[in-house]
Amino acid sequence: MDTSPLPSPAAPPVISVTGLRKSYDGRVVVDDLDLRVDAGEVVGLIGANGAGKTTTVECLQGLRRADAGAVRVLGFDPARDAERLRPLIGSQLQDSGLPDRLRVEEAVRLFAGPDAGDAEELLERFGLAHRRRLHFATMSGGERQRLFLVLALLNRPRLVILDELTQGLDPAARREVWRSVQQLRADGTTVLLVTHELEEAEALCDRVVVMQAGRVLDSGTPEELVTRHGGPVVVRFGLPAGRPAHDLVALRALPGVLDVERRGDRVAVHGRRSAIAHVGAWLVARGDVPDDLSVTSPDLEGALLALLDTPTTTTEDAA
Amino acid sequence: MTATPLAEPAGATTSPTSPANPTSRPGRPGRPRRHPSATRRLVAAELRLLRRDPLTLTFVFVFPVISMLIIGGSFGTTPDDAFPVNPAHWYVASYFSVVIGATGLIMLPVHIASYRERGVLRRFAAAGFPRWSFALAELVLGLTAVSVAGVVLLAVAAPVYGVPAVDDPVRVVLGVLLGAVAFVSLGVLLGSVLPSARAAQAVGMLLFFPSFLLGVGGPPPAVMSPTLASISDALPLKVVTDAVREPWLGLDGGTGGLVVVGLLAVVTTALAARRTAL
Repeated sequence: MDTSPLPSPAAPPVISVTGLRKSYDGRVVVDDLDLRVDAGEVVGLIGANGAGKTTTVECLQGLRRADAGAVRVLGFDPARDAERLRPLIGSQLQDSGLPDRLRVEEAVRLFAGPDAGDAEELLERFGLAHRRRLHFATMSGGERQRLFLVLALLNRPRLVILDELTQGLDPAARREVWRSVQQLRADGTTVLLVTHELEEAEALCDRVVVMQAGRVLDSGTPEELVTRHGGPVVVRFGLPAGRPAHDLVALRALPGVLDVERRGDRVAVHGRRSAIAHVGAWLVARGDVPDDLSVTSPDLEGALLALLDTPTTTTEDAA
Repeated sequence: MTATPLAEPAGATTSPTSPANPTSRPGRPGRPRRHPSATRRLVAAELRLLRRDPLTLTFVFVFPVISMLIIGGSFGTTPDDAFPVNPAHWYVASYFSVVIGATGLIMLPVHIASYRERGVLRRFAAAGFPRWSFALAELVLGLTAVSVAGVVLLAVAAPVYGVPAVDDPVRVVLGVLLGAVAFVSLGVLLGSVLPSARAAQAVGMLLFFPSFLLGVGGPPPAVMSPTLASISDALPLKVVTDAVREPWLGLDGGTGGLVVVGLLAVVTTALAARRTAL
């Protein structure tokens, strides 16, 4: 099910994919995939290894030729117009490197096109300004990832593709990179983020596309996905001792409530998100405002794990 | 920390201290600098990295010189009936091909296979480097390595054995140029088909040493068995060596070898360009 926004004639999509199909040696890794990314969106492509995410973004950049389907990126067909399209995309590719003996400053010079932005500012922002003489081979994993980000953003791209963006970064560096992506979003840059880090997707993405075995399982905002697949919220509180059991009948009848459990003086109400407000109002109306009320909401991780918990045809890495 | 300028917007007037353009590089005041093309930037980076590669320095610059000094010194400098050419000059004229072989069979295959193995080529492609830019950069890299190593070879040979007079400069230059293009392209081709740097190193050594020993720097053909001499004659590096050495030393060889080297250059260049398109 794809719940992507409908195309608007006024604003052509940055990425438009219909029926994309790609196989390697007869093994289908992307199967009839539809995808739409509009200008200014940060869209997360999520799925386990082998879901076909990397192959999909490689087709978007013209690094692989699709077997079937229509792919348009920034108005170009990546398979035919790769040379015109690629300079408009800033990409941080999974499993790609730089020459061992290339220094940071030399890498920036090498990749800086005629429309390059302020390289100094990028190096400062990603904490590499003082490491400019470092050879690529001697950089830590985190430093390499940050350099790749600098290179991805260097030429002020119209579309940024980030594949496993924060792999190998420590928590502080990861937060710094997240802030940079949030800054990109604020600047109106379109970002396609390929990740299996659900926390990252929840923190950064306007919309998430969930892939499994080369297909899109579902897409929507993180909140929509949590609502659709995250299971019920649980409101827990204690009731004063001796409350009659029939009180719970009224609780069960509240809108959005699916189930009520009572163990001793502890009550757990399972329901939709709307049930939280109704239970709160019910407690206030009765004058029984508990000081131990807690609400457990499903998160994106739980929602996607539930969504992905279906049999797959392949679990091998498609990349 | 001194800020080193890194990148420059197109058409920017350069000034080393311009606060409005902190990424510009020093240039002549008041004169707009054109941003170097992606291919030029790639060639410049590759040439810079050439100097830092120990394998290249060893095999292309040091090995031919040392082998020439040893082998050239082993046979003296006096011609005789069995070997009617100054043996040292024979080897000086031959060792240009060792440089060509080392560049094409060892340096470039390992270099390019390592790039492909580690995703460097993917990064170049994704960054929008023109389709033929990498092939062109490697051609320039290989020819530069051959030229510089050749000059080093002659510079070392000159005070020790003397550099033999060139009998037919046009054919020598053509032989060196076409031989270098053929082997550089062969190196690029090997680097693009072999799966890893280690495989490229193994295959490169297997191709280089027999070519070196039988075709260039080993025993003279006159002392080889007929079988070894036949194998030697069939080796591409031997054909290149003959195409350079014979017109250099005024030996009667005709232009057949040069034509074969030219054909080899055309075929390997076409195949290499096709395989290394980004």
